[in-house]
Amino acid sequence: MGIQTLDISPVGRVEGDLDVRVEIEDGQVVNAWTHAELFRGFEVILRGKDPQAGLIVTPRICGICGGSHLTCASSALDTAWGTEVPRNAILARNLGQIVETIQSIPRYFYGLFAIDLTNKNYRNSRFYEEACRRFAAFTGKSYEIGITISGKPVEIYALLGGQWPHSSYMVPGGVMCAPTLTDITRAWSILEYFRTNWLEPVWLGSSLERYEEIKTYDDFMTWLDENPNHRDSDLGLYWRMGLDIGLDRYGAGVGKYVTWGYLPHEDKYQKPTIAGRNAAMIMKSGVYDSFTDTHTLMDHTFTRENTTHSWYDEGTADVHPFDRTSKPTQKNAKDFNNDYSWSTAVRHQDYGRLEAGPLARQLVAGGKHGESWQHYDGFILDVFKHMGGANIHVRQLARVHEVVKLYRQAERCLREFRLHDPWYIKPKEKDGRGWGATEAARGSLCHWIEIEGGKIKNYQVIAPSTWNIGPRDAEGIRGPIEEALIGTPIYDSTDPVEVGHVARSFDSCLVCTVHAHDAKTGEELARFRTA
Amino acid sequence: MSFLNAEEPTVCDLITDFGIKILWHPSLGMELGANLQKLLWDCISGKIPLDILVFEGTVINAPNGTGEWNRFADRPMKNWLSDLSKVAHFVVAVGDCATWGGIPAIAPNPSESQGLQFLKRQEGGFLGKDFRAKSGLPVINIPGCPAHPDWITQILVAIATGRISDITLDELHRPQTFFNTFTQTGCTRNVHFAYKATTSEFGQRKGCLFYDLGCRGPMTHSSCNRILWNRVSSKTRAGMPCLGCTEPEFPFFDLKPGTVFKTQTVMGVPKELPPGIKKTDYALLTVVAKDAAPAWAEEDIFTV
Repeated sequence: MGIQTLDISPVGRVEGDLDVRVEIEDGQVVNAWTHAELFRGFEVILRGKDPQAGLIVTPRICGICGGSHLTCASSALDTAWGTEVPRNAILARNLGQIVETIQSIPRYFYGLFAIDLTNKNYRNSRFYEEACRRFAAFTGKSYEIGITISGKPVEIYALLGGQWPHSSYMVPGGVMCAPTLTDITRAWSILEYFRTNWLEPVWLGSSLERYEEIKTYDDFMTWLDENPNHRDSDLGLYWRMGLDIGLDRYGAGVGKYVTWGYLPHEDKYQKPTIAGRNAAMIMKSGVYDSFTDTHTLMDHTFTRENTTHSWYDEGTADVHPFDRTSKPTQKNAKDFNNDYSWSTAVRHQDYGRLEAGPLARQLVAGGKHGESWQHYDGFILDVFKHMGGANIHVRQLARVHEVVKLYRQAERCLREFRLHDPWYIKPKEKDGRGWGATEAARGSLCHWIEIEGGKIKNYQVIAPSTWNIGPRDAEGIRGPIEEALIGTPIYDSTDPVEVGHVARSFDSCLVCTVHAHDAKTGEELARFRTA
Repeated sequence: MSFLNAEEPTVCDLITDFGIKILWHPSLGMELGANLQKLLWDCISGKIPLDILVFEGTVINAPNGTGEWNRFADRPMKNWLSDLSKVAHFVVAVGDCATWGGIPAIAPNPSESQGLQFLKRQEGGFLGKDFRAKSGLPVINIPGCPAHPDWITQILVAIATGRISDITLDELHRPQTFFNTFTQTGCTRNVHFAYKATTSEFGQRKGCLFYDLGCRGPMTHSSCNRILWNRVSSKTRAGMPCLGCTEPEFPFFDLKPGTVFKTQTVMGVPKELPPGIKKTDYALLTVVAKDAAPAWAEEDIFTV
């Protein structure tokens, strides 16, 4: 049997438009190319603008990670201007970041991913009918609860920033808001509502406290088996069905992982600097190399971008983002031997291509590197090792595992606010270079800014999906999703749901990938038909 | 994503209770690749009736009018749009990108972006000034960055329940029911506006954001303080200046240095005043208001 080439345009349900070409031989993917087909040029637009323009523009790059962009934009200016950020403001920014990510978890799981479990390819699974009852688009019991409840956490964002998405309430020197007691008590009750209406009864079938006792793969198995409520929860059903349909058998990827770390500690980062960042984050930064089983700290100076296979006229050398010029190719012809994407290839100067996302964060959380007070959690690393490396299933587990700890971090912020203390210290504007980073729901996000003569000289963004969706680099090495697609079984090439599974397991956000590029949207929102 | 926050109706209710069938949506649709392309062609050929075409995002024309910088389902997005708009009964533009061109259309507009029937305030846009959908209506513009989810769902419900004839569009094709009032209508800082009491910097518990922090609430048409965001608040209530994102000029002044979160003034007087007021009358009002202001207008009011 020869090689069959399949072009999938678009893959859909990936936050933007992702196009994939795969070559299939004997029912398996043997080669893959991911390409981003949208360019808007936000970096080009930001040149010459007010230094604070990024606070308005960059949250609008993305409809689902706007708070993460705002976190980066404000902290890039903090480091460039040398601001002082009051404790309350650090907590208010963290809380915004946390609730945005909590929002994304059910929205992603039900809205983007679990729908595929109702695909006819899985009709022979013994879990199929139950999956259809729960996860069918719009009508599934859990789909409806999950999508609706996903709007609750960001009500807390709106209490701080006025609205979600697209507020600009985080500014250099702090935040715009000064919440009152009713904002805090209201936020508490929103969290409680989320916990008692979805997180515990629907998602876990368990109390948070019991779930939090899970530290290893074996603990998870014990939890799953000890109570029918655990087994039949959405998490329990998903875990068992995923194994049944083989989601643990493909989607490996590059085997090396990155996180910038996030959530600065409110007492340790009031004078934000780039150099002091790693030691101040609650969730630590790092690179995990699964081939050598080692953890190291991550630093922005290790980042390189390569445009050899991208539609930019910027040569073939690896460059640091501060040295990028963002020159789009006029004629973006699709040529899989040469240029085929608006995304660049991002590399670590020593480790090469890295996967970003919740799996990366959780593998790094299992490392003993960093500060002794920083968050440590070895659960996902243990599952990863038990399963012999990455696959779709562990990538999903890592993502949903985060919801419980983020819930606790949100509670912590609410406890720590000192309502009578300041929220903002007016900074002095000056020229210079800055860098801000965070972890968006879908992975490592950062902004670089260079200010000269009171205006932006250069603004660069590397989004999680730039790491994951990037095309081949100068050495021809495949990007993480391209690599993860290799070996994917395709049962029906007219409905290659498995390609969708792999791509969606990265929860990619194309609108961000094409480099700071787009205001959420992209494209057709929908075609509706009235009955 | 803002759309998914809708409540009364929720997105699920919209489908189950109002019988709106979503043929496809980039984040919600089932089809991918070739199957989606077939669905789109079936709409264009009339095999599948297309009642409402909802478009988000700018129409990208770069490079040189070809639209190749935004290919979707294997052809330039603008070609899909051109074909689909001819068969749709209603065309709805959601968000600033689709209505006026939004942020991507800021100078130098590298992607040659347009809105569906406007570019900034200029009528025309991608579909042209004279475009009418099959229903006879022009593109219904629901601007905002983002558009409020309730503005979107209410318009869809109005269409689904046969009440769209009750909608009056303003000269920018915005439904007046949402865009006749000002952002300031319903703002909790109105009393401070009246007494000219300012929030001089962020993080304060008092004052109006218009005088120093560049708030555009008095000049912007929206219902942000009547139909709250995420059910709980609005930017101006939370202490963030309105950026005027439902108007075609957003982001104002093309984000030139010195214009972000700073009121533009001449000799201490805001350059832009609420619509319709004469400069001399405004000056008079200022003197009287400051004179009449009670002491508490300058004290913290939104206290813990």
